[in-house]
Amino acid sequence: MKKVWLMTAIVFVVASSHAQFTKATLQATGLTCAMCSNAINKALQKVSFIESVRSDIKNSAFNIVFKEGEDIKIEELRKAVEDAGFSVGSLKLTGNFHELKIDNDTHVEIGKEVFHFLNVSEQVLNGEQTISVVDKNFVSAKQFKKFRSASKMSCVASGKAGSCCKKEGIAGDARVYHVTI
Amino acid sequence: MNFKKITPVFVLLLAGIFSYGQHEVANITDPRLLIKLPDVKGDSISLASLKGKVVLLDFWASWCLPCRAANKKLVKLYGKYKTQGFEIFSVSVDDERRDWIKAIEKDKITWLQVNDPRNWGAQSALNWGISVLPTTFLINKKGDVVAIDPAEKGLESSIKNLLQE
Repeated sequence: MKKVWLMTAIVFVVASSHAQFTKATLQATGLTCAMCSNAINKALQKVSFIESVRSDIKNSAFNIVFKEGEDIKIEELRKAVEDAGFSVGSLKLTGNFHELKIDNDTHVEIGKEVFHFLNVSEQVLNGEQTISVVDKNFVSAKQFKKFRSASKMSCVASGKAGSCCKKEGIAGDARVYHVTI
Repeated sequence: MNFKKITPVFVLLLAGIFSYGQHEVANITDPRLLIKLPDVKGDSISLASLKGKVVLLDFWASWCLPCRAANKKLVKLYGKYKTQGFEIFSVSVDDERRDWIKAIEKDKITWLQVNDPRNWGAQSALNWGISVLPTTFLINKKGDVVAIDPAEKGLESSIKNLLQE
């Protein structure tokens, strides 16, 4: 008699949290009609991690799709817009999230960048989510002032981790992006 | 004066004149600048067919507010010179045909109007190297581009002069 051993392989799925940005919606502002200039469009298309840019005239926005698996460097988006002679009025980042715990005034890493959540309640992000960058030069000066006063942590004003998040193991000179949902 | 010292400057100057002489003037009959697009009725109109007239080629879109403001001024100018051989050829890059037609009605435009959809992806805008809306080109009777974005102030006198050429 042959004994058949059924081998059961149990795959342990490590329930790690992760997130990856896939696309963005960017509004540009300036003294002249931002959509009337092709300069922003062209500058964004030159950014290495951008797959495509489409002008959404109705919403005066640029719909950006990121290249899959590439690191998104948010500062480069701002630089492209500013080099084209405009400034960022709003930047919304959309990504796929998996069990990412966030809370007000806490830091999380998404990709290779550090994010500081403002004006949010404690929650776990799953699936497709959109967050808005509220740092200086990513919103109007007036809006920035409002967000800056929402937190006592010094990194909100400076954009650098500084002394406010050393406890969480983040280097002092690390760029921290302040975001909200 | 040392002749050796002068020679290179002289050669450079000659080269400058030579290259200037060869400098190409954009002409509406150049196949690379061809614009043949449908008007509101769907009839195809070509820019090259306007050779012999003084033409203002105008790239615009209904969503471009500076373009809409310019339209108002062009209405007056067109009314004044259309019977004398002046024509305006407007290329809208509107993606939404309805928006384009609505803007024509609202701005009371009676000159030639064609639509090249896809906003900044419009082929005619790419061919003409448009980077901002509105962009206008003043074209003489020979079909040569004589001015890019002529200032409003001197536009009328330029048209008058070109009509007499």
